[in-house]
Amino acid sequence: MAIDPRHVGRRYGPFRTTVCAERIRDFATAVAGGVPGHFGTATGEPHPLTVDEQEAAKSRYGSLVAPPTFGVTFAMHPFALACADPEIGLDLVRLLHAEQEFEYHSVVRPGDVLTTTGEVVEVRSKGLLDFLTVQSETRNAAGELVLVGRWSAVVRNEAPPRSEAGPAKA
Amino acid sequence: MKRLEDFRVGDAFELVRSADRYRPLYYAAVSGDFNPIHVDREVARRAGFPDAILHGMCTMGWLADACTAYFGDPGRLSRLRARFSRPVIVGDTVTFRGRCVAVEGAGVRVEVEAVNQRGEEVLRGATAEASFEE
Repeated sequence: MAIDPRHVGRRYGPFRTTVCAERIRDFATAVAGGVPGHFGTATGEPHPLTVDEQEAAKSRYGSLVAPPTFGVTFAMHPFALACADPEIGLDLVRLLHAEQEFEYHSVVRPGDVLTTTGEVVEVRSKGLLDFLTVQSETRNAAGELVLVGRWSAVVRNEAPPRSEAGPAKA
Repeated sequence: MKRLEDFRVGDAFELVRSADRYRPLYYAAVSGDFNPIHVDREVARRAGFPDAILHGMCTMGWLADACTAYFGDPGRLSRLRARFSRPVIVGDTVTFRGRCVAVEGAGVRVEVEAVNQRGEEVLRGATAEASFEE
């Protein structure tokens, strides 16, 4: 079932998050094969500036910086809400994340207070597939743009039942 | 830290990561995305998959790690993009092979292919850009 195009322009937020060092470290550790809450368990070498506070203090940032996909923790809410919005009516069991794009305007550090808003910017259909795209925009406490995300979901609809019965049995 | 002059078109890099049984659970915990298709094998099966599927965003996190290791600094990234062309299932191992395709102005652009252990593409059109402007 095609998504009604009148949902384009539907807005979600604002959502506010305060970034903390532990959350950055746990995120980087889990992505790199480790156990959250257990620093040093990652087998896949997270970037030192995302997990090692001493190393990060010596960097040009002076503190840990969030890894590039950390935006999922503070900028995904509008997309998640749109996917589960009863007004739009997507079937969550048939829904997958289809495409993702981030535009980085400023690094994210512990202590940052971030505000995210989002808007449905596109709906389209291709055969049995329905696509929905939400654009998120995150700003810091000074109002400066930090991150723009484009989040697209695909819903894999079932083929409608055939109107005719199969070949007659002999 | 790397500088702009350290990058050359044609540079290659590689990263291998595996979706062990607990990865979707750990990723759910740190991302806040507890969609049952990622944490409940039965729900994943009802949706037509052989086992729990890893969050696309975790695969993208691996892509970002591959690119960040090449760029040398996670704060240099200006753009990251990928299409999730095939789900990564628990038990899968993904190999990311990246290549520098442009060094223009202060920007460096890479393209990355990501394939599972059967050689099937799990990401399409994966690209990253970094800016080395001072």
